[in-house]
Amino acid sequence: MISQITEPYNEKEISGVLDPIIREWFFSKFKAFSMPQMYGVMPIHERKNILITAPTGGTKTLTSFLSILNYLVKLARRVDLEDKVYAIYVSPLKALNYDIEVNLQEPLKEIQKVAKKFGVKLQDIRVAARTGDTSSAEKTAQLKKPPHILITTPETLAIVLTTKKFVDTMKAVEFVIIDEIHALASGKRGIDLSLSLERLEHVSVIAPVRIGLSATIAPLDEIAKFLVGYEYKDGKYTERDCLIANVQFLKKMDFKVLSPVDDLIDTTASQMHLGLYGLLDNLIQEHKTTLIFTNTRSATERVVNHLKEKFPKKYTSGEIGAHHSSLSKKHRRDIEKKLRNGELKAVVCSTSLELGIDIGYIDLVLQLGSPKSVARALQRQGRSGHKLHDVTKGRLIVLDRDDLIECSVLLKEGVEKKIDRIQIPKNAFDVLSQHIYGMAISHKWNIDELFSVIKKSYCYHDLSKEDFYEILSYLSGEYAELESKNVYAKIWIDWKTKELGKRGKLARMIYMTNIGTIPEESFVNVVIAVPADRREEKIGVIDESFLERIEKGDVFVLGGSKYEFLYSKGMNVYVNASVSRQPTIPSWASEMLPLSFDLAMQIQRFRKLMDEKFSSKQKENEIKIFIREFLYVDEKAVNAIYNFFREQYLFSKIPHEKRLLIEYFEDEDEKKYALFHTLYGRRVNDALSRAIAFAVARYGNRDIELGISDNGFYLASHNKMNIDKALREINSKNLREILEQAIGKTEVFKRRFRHCAARSLMILRSYMGRRRSVGKQQMKSVFLLGAVKRLNDNFPILKETRREVLEDLMDIENAKYILDEISKNKIKIEKMNTEVPSPFAFNLITQAHADLLRIEDKIEFLKRMHKEVLKRIKS
Amino acid sequence: MLKEIKPVKLLENVYALGLGILLKKEKVFILGDLHIGYEEYLNKQGILIPREQFKLTKNLLEKTLATIKPEKIIVNGDLKHEFGTISKQEWIETLKIFDILTQSCKEIILVKGNHDTILEPLANKRNFEVKDYVIVGNICITHGHKLLKETKELKNIKTIIIGNDHPAISIKDGIKSELYKCFLVGKWQRKNLIVMPSFLPIIEGTDIRKEKTLSPYLKQKLSDFKVFVVGDKIYEFGKLKDI
Repeated sequence: MISQITEPYNEKEISGVLDPIIREWFFSKFKAFSMPQMYGVMPIHERKNILITAPTGGTKTLTSFLSILNYLVKLARRVDLEDKVYAIYVSPLKALNYDIEVNLQEPLKEIQKVAKKFGVKLQDIRVAARTGDTSSAEKTAQLKKPPHILITTPETLAIVLTTKKFVDTMKAVEFVIIDEIHALASGKRGIDLSLSLERLEHVSVIAPVRIGLSATIAPLDEIAKFLVGYEYKDGKYTERDCLIANVQFLKKMDFKVLSPVDDLIDTTASQMHLGLYGLLDNLIQEHKTTLIFTNTRSATERVVNHLKEKFPKKYTSGEIGAHHSSLSKKHRRDIEKKLRNGELKAVVCSTSLELGIDIGYIDLVLQLGSPKSVARALQRQGRSGHKLHDVTKGRLIVLDRDDLIECSVLLKEGVEKKIDRIQIPKNAFDVLSQHIYGMAISHKWNIDELFSVIKKSYCYHDLSKEDFYEILSYLSGEYAELESKNVYAKIWIDWKTKELGKRGKLARMIYMTNIGTIPEESFVNVVIAVPADRREEKIGVIDESFLERIEKGDVFVLGGSKYEFLYSKGMNVYVNASVSRQPTIPSWASEMLPLSFDLAMQIQRFRKLMDEKFSSKQKENEIKIFIREFLYVDEKAVNAIYNFFREQYLFSKIPHEKRLLIEYFEDEDEKKYALFHTLYGRRVNDALSRAIAFAVARYGNRDIELGISDNGFYLASHNKMNIDKALREINSKNLREILEQAIGKTEVFKRRFRHCAARSLMILRSYMGRRRSVGKQQMKSVFLLGAVKRLNDNFPILKETRREVLEDLMDIENAKYILDEISKNKIKIEKMNTEVPSPFAFNLITQAHADLLRIEDKIEFLKRMHKEVLKRIKS
Repeated sequence: MLKEIKPVKLLENVYALGLGILLKKEKVFILGDLHIGYEEYLNKQGILIPREQFKLTKNLLEKTLATIKPEKIIVNGDLKHEFGTISKQEWIETLKIFDILTQSCKEIILVKGNHDTILEPLANKRNFEVKDYVIVGNICITHGHKLLKETKELKNIKTIIIGNDHPAISIKDGIKSELYKCFLVGKWQRKNLIVMPSFLPIIEGTDIRKEKTLSPYLKQKLSDFKVFVVGDKIYEFGKLKDI
């Protein structure tokens, strides 16, 4: 059962269970127990599973360790400490692991001092970190003297579970702490971890207590279930028990929306630019240390450069820094250290400083553009005023009117503490393939027993036996011809005895060097070919998928300068650096964060309220009063929001939660557009738009252009599009089937296929002693995709790629929900013909991520193009 | 993908046939860049692609040869993929391809490509000739990875046929783009130059509009080259600059 702890324990009770040494140490450091400690310490002491959710700096980590340290000290006092791992701490970040190790070594030293004072001889309590960076000498030392507390990452945990000797030290683990569980649960790293936890439980004679630590997150029940999984007893699975200590909202918030200019409409790009950097400079100067989130790596670079250029005296490299995942580890560690030492005035990051690495004292957090989810906004906000009772100070800086409304509603949700929910992916075949391989490497298994261990994981509880057998069949290389099987088969299976085991001498090596769930992204170098004096100069990298979109002669921007694409060769792109033309192709938006569905629905609700005000002919000041009271924004914002809605209302109609507006218009090129005001976030829109485009394209047998954003999508074509017919055809029941066909030819499918094939170990990054570049993997994975498709359209890796695209990248579940609402007439579709796009549609047209729904057969396309060529030749 | 295998005229006496070339008058069939063992090479690279190349190559070859009775077959380089080594599987597959060739014609000549560093043992097994180039009438067939020396013999040559580059072309319409194998017909100095696509069914080849060409015969601008696109059959698309 999952149950919330409603009352904190009392201080005496907690104090009472502490060893005198720990008690003395604790109260020499802290005046009293913190709120999370009042909730969390006792249940852990009583060996109960618990999910603790509290803001950063809320002493969560010590809460989780206090009972464990207490227990270890009691053992150490009696000289009962064995050479084994008692507790495992897992976090998604190596940097965080390092912090934790330091933060445990220090107290342990102090505890030894207290013991000395007490005249007690304590056994040494050992702490060690183990990650991909740990040297083999350290690993050997850990084997000789196992750490009592092991600090590690999800990936390394999977590896040590397959390491013959080290696993012997983990056969009686008593506690497992999962830190930053909110950052893991919604992705494949979390799935990987959930299987590792069950494998740990399987090798351990004791069921370790599971402790989850999380920042702001929802839904808590599901996260708790994810943490603890299921128990298997007497042929039945039951949810394991878990307590929830919800101490989420302790800090007071000073949280506001700011606009860099007075008027967000009649502002030129350069006024906006001036306004923005003026505002940033003012805010930074008024505070000691400012942390700025920009959402993307490229924006991070841009902001740092502009600040340095505009205010060269105020912002030198010593006072401002950039932090994002593409920068070297050394650079990032350096910035983090400077932050802790209070040396920096401002740090600009993409999303990389959201997690709980210690970054010292920050007094202001700025978010440039919408953070797209309430949970993320609060997590970032919580990076300021790190001490528990400080007030957190944050500002959302909006860049256009859509952004203003989104941020204003987000602010309201945040202030009212309504957190958007995350989704936890289930039944991923690729991660499962990895684990089965790892398990087979550990020892021989009975197939049914293996299945029952897997089904204890929350992420695989619904796994069907058929799917499980399909994965086994894949892993045993049943798809390959006999003579080449040794290349493909990873395990052997004896269906008679129902046993399986690893195959091949290289198995362990392949496993150790290839597992993990984080996809390697592929970048190509941009190299100068012209002018001659700069020839061969490397300027930077671009995402490989971007390369697929650009053509000879296209001009693009990289690191603030313009380049003309000339040609590519291998992993290099050659460019002309002396180009004066304007960019012809926008930089790719793959790294854009999607708007959360729950927040999107709140914006839709706000739109509906606004529509009611306008429709019932309320007076301007009445509506403005409503905006001011409903949202927590200033007068400037109230006016801008009012004007934006008024324009939309006068121009056409205000779309909202009950009204799905479709606008039809043509551009000067006579291209026809159907624009859907579906403010459901891009994950839902990705699914809806492709399904509709597919249904439309199927009849015309011609590809349809589409543009997708958080606020809606459009379809475009020179041919007539029968949208009504398409809408009648699509429903929540056939959506999956339609989408599975619609995504097959997309670029994103090819990319995700590579990721899934790598996770399933059909593409080995490291093999026969060599490591392959991602770019080469990607090029070659396209051949693999073709071959696998010809082999079997339901090959497990293809199925997983479809699942990942539909469920993780897109949001098919909520798309189905919307379709149901439409069919129940709870959402009404209304259509309008317009001359130009309406005000709400404006950003959608200019900023949407454009793609193509391919339906036309490759040969049909060739025939059509050939006819056009013939026509041209004749004329 | 190729359904209809019929000769399509590239130049006088020179016809594209499937993925190969037919010299009508002399009844010579030319094919190149089979890259046998490419999948095995990918396997070694850690891409565990299931194998179908041999089957597809064999089918297409048999289908093509069924339409003609050649007196001579010229393999214009890069018969197998791996440099320097040959696996058991490659050895078996190469010999099987040889058998298909010898069944339809007596004289087989192998032209050396850049991947064919150890072609001789294979050729010896079947008593095939191995050459750097072959001359048929006023046509010279060579792989194209290096320039041939300008000898007397070559002076009177009117047409050169090369492989090596695996030409393919992306056809675009708006933001849609698809890649197809293609033949290129143009000029090198004053001679005609024909570039053949690879006889490697699992891969299209290198997009001539995006990537730099490799052969020393292709250092000039290709915009005046005529493009013959391979789809279900062969389509003439006119000059590259007009596509």
